[in-house]
Amino acid sequence: MMFDRFFSAGLRLPAVAMAAPGKCPVVLTEEAAITADRNEELRVEPLVDEEALVAQGQPLLRLRADPTIALVSPMAGRVARIELAPGRRLLRLVLFREGDDRHEYAHAPLDETALRALMQGAGLWRNLRSRPFGRMPASGERPAAIFVMATDTRPGAPDPQLALTGGEDDFAAGLEALQKLTAGQIWLCEGKVSDLPVPVGVRRILCGALHPQGLPGIQIHRHHPARIDAPVWDIHAEDVAGLGSFLATGLVPDTRLVSVTGAGLREPRLLRCQPGADLRGLVHGVLRPGPHRLLSGAALDGQQAHWLAPRDRQVTVLPGATGADHRHWFGAALRRAARPMPVIPTAALEQALGGDIPAHALIRALGSGDPESAIRLGALSLLEEDLALADYVTGAVPRVSGQLRTVLDLIATEEAAP
Amino acid sequence: MTRGLWDREMVALVLLAAVMPMALAWLWYGGSAALVRLLLTLLLSGFWHLVFMLVRAQPPSFAGALTALAVAMLAPPDLSLFQLVLGISFGSVMAELVMGGWGRNVLNPATVTLAFLGFGFPAAPWADLPLPVAWAAIPAALIAMVAGVIPARTVLAATLVGGLAHWAGLPVGPVLPAAGIVLVLLVADPVASASTRLGGWLNGVLYGALMVLFAVQWQLAAPLQMAVSAALLISLVAPLLDEIAIATWLARRKRRHG
Repeated sequence: MMFDRFFSAGLRLPAVAMAAPGKCPVVLTEEAAITADRNEELRVEPLVDEEALVAQGQPLLRLRADPTIALVSPMAGRVARIELAPGRRLLRLVLFREGDDRHEYAHAPLDETALRALMQGAGLWRNLRSRPFGRMPASGERPAAIFVMATDTRPGAPDPQLALTGGEDDFAAGLEALQKLTAGQIWLCEGKVSDLPVPVGVRRILCGALHPQGLPGIQIHRHHPARIDAPVWDIHAEDVAGLGSFLATGLVPDTRLVSVTGAGLREPRLLRCQPGADLRGLVHGVLRPGPHRLLSGAALDGQQAHWLAPRDRQVTVLPGATGADHRHWFGAALRRAARPMPVIPTAALEQALGGDIPAHALIRALGSGDPESAIRLGALSLLEEDLALADYVTGAVPRVSGQLRTVLDLIATEEAAP
Repeated sequence: MTRGLWDREMVALVLLAAVMPMALAWLWYGGSAALVRLLLTLLLSGFWHLVFMLVRAQPPSFAGALTALAVAMLAPPDLSLFQLVLGISFGSVMAELVMGGWGRNVLNPATVTLAFLGFGFPAAPWADLPLPVAWAAIPAALIAMVAGVIPARTVLAATLVGGLAHWAGLPVGPVLPAAGIVLVLLVADPVASASTRLGGWLNGVLYGALMVLFAVQWQLAAPLQMAVSAALLISLVAPLLDEIAIATWLARRKRRHG
């Protein structure tokens, strides 16, 4: 176990300049939004009207399929606009900052049912992610295990242990609460040996220091593979501490630790901001001149966005123009006309999937859209972010992570069919 | 959003760079005859890649040059132009291009070409490569292994088996140079060899074992003939080795996770 870190499979990526982990300023942007995550479909029912003044933590939206689950306001402010696509699918609910009210929930010692109801009503349910498929869990779902991620190896990611500083007791309380949600095991994944207090029954895993060892998918695949009848949840350690403090005070945590990195910045930043913050507000004043792309997430798995995505703790600013592609017409024609370039099995590819998974077999199964082989090789434990490194390393076109999503969606439709 | 290095063409280019020591040593000792032969194979391989690009919109690959180099080095030297053209056309078209290009092939096109030439025209004697080319295979293998473009476990396993056999006193000495050259050029091809961990080890061990068997039992065969035959047989079983590796991996996981 001790030498695990030195022999852990993974890749050394180009270093990303990070801000010194000193004092993290709280930066609340003037605008924030509740958005759906990538590939997430949220059919919602608004609980407030446009122009309404709302408190931080107040429920603003309710899921139509699961009305106990609410999405809450990331900050005190005024509802600017609620944009829904046909079928009442949430596009975004935008808020302007105004006032500093916080919505307080009643909090008493709870049994499982009450805890679930409270978490769902206070928007904390959204911090959980269920595999297979990577959705927010349904209100009645019981996981076979919960992975708490106190490590993150993505380049430029803020150290979760730093986010926990000062909140160790809340973290322990949060873990105890999580234990009520499942009869299964709680796993705590750490990047280094720490003295975090944990309740009895929580198993600690020391993860390797190289990417992708700090991704929940790789750890879940190794220690407790998800199955369709036995979903596995993962949650970020900071959100567990937030759950603990919520149960103690009744206040929904108002900020999260976010690192802003990338070559398009004059200096990297480490700050605390509200969930769903406006990315332009976070990079204001530190951008280099010239065109740039703002990504929510790491450079590997991030996507161009306007708002910080619900699960992201990173903002990446890449220099360079957006989109426009000036390659030669002949090369472009070849690229589009032919079938995609095959991925060659190299040592880099194997390391990009953590070394344990038969990488090339999995990629071939995904490329040929073969759900059975993919399931056999453990695709149910994985999500797009887990294959983002393989995409980066091989430059695969189309992206392997996109192929995984296609296969997962196919499996989900087949499962849903009677 | 950003992209790394190891796309198909980069792998092919690094492989080409890695085999340069062997190619240069071979050209040095082969002289102008070797150069003409290499140009001919390059031209033919390039021609078929061009045909498939124009007809099937299939992007050409630098791996074609790798095939050309391996064929030029290893094919029997006395073949007529027609025989060589026939062999390369068969190998690169049937083993690689009709499958969808490099990366989708099951067998190494150079192996198929050489087997075709060797079995089709048995009267032509096999090449006898100068010893320095075999020595040059060592840096070539090291470069490719460090870059991760050939499976290191396959090379290590085969070397280990060869070394053990030599240590045990079996008469493998004469075939070692040819076995080493073919190991680097044909057997350890990242696409046609086993891609899993256990599969890679088995792949190397099997190749080594076959070479030892041939060296001991196959009288009257040239070392290169033995090595090419072993390479062909091994690349035929490589998918099976991968299946075995995945099956044991699944069994281990089943025992562990239920």
